[in-house]
Amino acid sequence: MAEGTNKLRVRLVTPERILFEEMADAVELPSKSGYLEVLYGHAPLVAELGAGDVTVHGGGETATRYNVSWGFAEVLPERVTILANDALLPTAIDVDRAKKQLERGHELWHAAGDNAEAYDEANRVISEAEAKLASAGSTASH
Amino acid sequence: MANVLDLRRRIRSVKSTRQITKAMKMVSAAKLRRAQDRAMTARPYAKMITSVLASLTRRIEIFDPETGNLRHPLFATRPEKKILLIVVSGEKGFAGAFNTNILKTSFQFIAANGDKEIDVEAIGRKAKDQMRRRYPAAVYTETIGENPADESALTIRKRERKAAVEVVGDHQGLLDKLTADKVFAIAESVIARYVHEEIDACYLVYNEFKSVIQQRIVVERLLPLMELGKQQVTEAVEPTTEEKERAGEAAISAGIALEPADTHEADEEAAKFGTSEVDYIYEQPAEELFNGLLPQYVSSMLYHALAESVAAEHAARMTAMDAATNNASDMIDALTLHMNRVRQAAITKEIIEIVSGAAAL
Repeated sequence: MAEGTNKLRVRLVTPERILFEEMADAVELPSKSGYLEVLYGHAPLVAELGAGDVTVHGGGETATRYNVSWGFAEVLPERVTILANDALLPTAIDVDRAKKQLERGHELWHAAGDNAEAYDEANRVISEAEAKLASAGSTASH
Repeated sequence: MANVLDLRRRIRSVKSTRQITKAMKMVSAAKLRRAQDRAMTARPYAKMITSVLASLTRRIEIFDPETGNLRHPLFATRPEKKILLIVVSGEKGFAGAFNTNILKTSFQFIAANGDKEIDVEAIGRKAKDQMRRRYPAAVYTETIGENPADESALTIRKRERKAAVEVVGDHQGLLDKLTADKVFAIAESVIARYVHEEIDACYLVYNEFKSVIQQRIVVERLLPLMELGKQQVTEAVEPTTEEKERAGEAAISAGIALEPADTHEADEEAAKFGTSEVDYIYEQPAEELFNGLLPQYVSSMLYHALAESVAAEHAARMTAMDAATNNASDMIDALTLHMNRVRQAAITKEIIEIVSGAAAL
């Protein structure tokens, strides 16, 4: 690794394998409490990720985007490691399935009654589906 | 006595059997290689989760000051009255004693815990078939209740236990194409059952596989968690030396490495995750992070166990098919020898007949 470059080492790890490992200028993370962007020299940080897009800038020519549904990230000044349950390229998202998932989420939400746990589950399904649709939708418009 | 033509036919038939077993062996070897890779690429994730959890436990007060126990429900130990047993077998036969051994260990476990209520969850077709045959399926009754929130209909599922051992579910075909999301879904349902106190403990029977010569059948406790990053093996059956040698020979002839691949460096790298000696900013409260990570930890343990079991199944099939190929070769040799003897005997007999016929003239 070359010293003195202001590049981050970004790794995206899924249960199945290390999906992505590259040097990048910046990375955007969908933290549970909102998006955050990490540049070289960021203070050490640990964050749980919600459903959304991980965007890596300046790795290659273009920005690389992955849709994650749950994750966990460790940020150190010179490296970022993301643990994600599932990471999809926006082009790999099955829009029909995501739509069905959204419907199912709404159904769950209605059926939840006063069961707080069921509500949380329903909200999770809904936000996951919405994030997937948003992510897939933004590639279509490019 | 069989004549030469019959023997020739037998030899031809055994030869084609040998072709098949040889092909099956090579297919299993290729699948084993892939399964081994998969088990290995799954390691960083599991390691990272474990190390970040371990470092979180050091930093935050997740211990109950009164009892000294971890506060999370997955650490809560209760007297084991209701046990969930997950049996991981193979999808197909022709794998030597692989499935038999798994099932034997499972039945022994069930017999040893005869005084408890056991739910069986079968993963793999062989386990499903055997368990379904032996034990009744769990019966659920559905009643329509009223949703207190908006007065819509609500189905309430209730379980009626009829036998001490019941099969609650099976997952056939999961192992053919093992993907993390399916395994994580199973783990989540197991965790939910544990948190709702439907079960007091969850055990897993599977074939642990480090390498072809380093494998054993283990009974492992998945829940409750005791200590992070440690397997809770309660029982283990090691293969005999002879079995190990046979597996080793088969692996060498198929070009599979005997020693597990060196993952030391990658493991160490992964173990550093989230454990740097700096003060992290926690985006969420540490306790929340911990609670979010724990289920993932359990899921990744289950995934890892399944990945190893798949590798073990292919290794067992490879070994079995190697033995079958060797047996076929031996049989061909014996039959060829026998055929030559029969042919020689016929020729000798004819010569004797000619000579004695000539002498009689």
